Amino acid sequence: MSRYAPPIERLITELARFPGIGEKTAARLANFILHESVEDARRLAASIMEVKERIRLCRQCFNLAEGELCAVCADPARDRGTVCVVQDPDALIAIETTGEFRGTYHVLHGVLAPLDGVGPDDLRLRELLARVDAHAVREVIVATNPDVQGEATALLINKLLAGRTVAISRIAMGVPMGGDLKYTDRMTLGKALEFRRGM
Amino acid sequence: MNTRNSHRARAIVLHTLDYGESDRIATFYTREFGKLKGIAKGARRSRRRFANSLEPFSFTQVLFSRRGGGDSLAMVDQCEIIDHFPMIRSDLEKSVAASYLVELTGAFTVEGKRNEAVFQLLVDFLSLMENGPFRTGLLSFFEIRLLGLAGYEPILDRCSRCHVPLDAGRTFHFSNSRGGLQCSRCVSVPEAAPALSLGTIRSLLHGKALPARNLSRLLLSPRADDESRRLLVSFIRHILGRELKSWQVLRQLRQLDAINVDTC
Ligand SMILES: [Zn+2]
Ligand SMILES: [Zn+2]
Repeated sequence: MSRYAPPIERLITELARFPGIGEKTAARLANFILHESVEDARRLAASIMEVKERIRLCRQCFNLAEGELCAVCADPARDRGTVCVVQDPDALIAIETTGEFRGTYHVLHGVLAPLDGVGPDDLRLRELLARVDAHAVREVIVATNPDVQGEATALLINKLLAGRTVAISRIAMGVPMGGDLKYTDRMTLGKALEFRRGM
Repeated sequence: MNTRNSHRARAIVLHTLDYGESDRIATFYTREFGKLKGIAKGARRSRRRFANSLEPFSFTQVLFSRRGGGDSLAMVDQCEIIDHFPMIRSDLEKSVAASYLVELTGAFTVEGKRNEAVFQLLVDFLSLMENGPFRTGLLSFFEIRLLGLAGYEPILDRCSRCHVPLDAGRTFHFSNSRGGLQCSRCVSVPEAAPALSLGTIRSLLHGKALPARNLSRLLLSPRADDESRRLLVSFIRHILGRELKSWQVLRQLRQLDAINVDTC
């Protein structure tokens, strides 16, 4: 027996699919939407569709982009010889917020996670190697999180790039072991980039 | 009834899963309570209560509470590191192998059933990897011990049908369905499993019996290493009915030449 009218039930079911959203929160959000103005609700629906229709992955770095290239890759002032490898667009944004980095990025879209079945084939590693081989990349900075999975990913990248004439460094200082770049304050993250160490 | 009982336990982290904005669900293998699953509220933000301890294969001291009725998800109140195993974490091969050990332990145990020997096995082998070079043989020795503790001890000292001993001058094949050796006379149809060398069988028996601290000195010949891997990987797949995720990742890494573990 359903507690709500079927359209509301459907909305609750859809919202409950979101990460970290339980049945109760979904019901609260659905109720909020129900009491919103039609214009507000339409804007929400439109922005969901806009994201799906207009956002794709940058063909160079796999960051989220509105066109062929993301804003960073499209900026002629950015140094293409330095590539900072991050695990997801959130980490890229965290580093961009520091304002310390003038190079470009490479977004892996994940980290090596053996216990979740995420292996090298699931990350954008081949694309990174191709990029290093095809362009004049002088330095690769590995900025994966300093946790078990991020460390393993950094070790793998180091191994795959060995033998190529590119300097490899790893962000270091201040980011605690097991930490997450998303939750690291700007100052610490800025210093971590500045004092990166060779691998 | 809302009475919650607080407990303290030594534990190896088997698996973690980010939940919501800042929580983390973790599965532990504890010395005192066996396999245990709990939620750590605010784990990804609180350095004070969790100090980044909730990571795969970390050795921790965990403080948790659960309702008297024994509901499945415990509340993890605090978790401290006993050993982060820095040498394992800084070696790709060791790190993925350690993930395999904890995944295997999770697959062969059930929640709420205490077995201190399983806990000790994990601690011993993680310490061996932390303090010595990585050898593929360690995986085989771990597997054969865990199989024994989980009630799947393979019969390796005689034919599982006619019981002739290893020195009877016959060849031996391993049968997954019998969970043990079959001698050349008992193998009715030519089985898919090729004959094992006696050296391999004896090495495995030895690797099962030796005190863990001496295992780093037990070297397998390349043939024994290879045959052990094939036998155990196939037997474990037969029991579980699936291949472990970390094993698939090990194989991908092997194909990239990023590690040396023979993944068959
Ligand atoms: Zn880009
Ligand atoms: Zn026989």
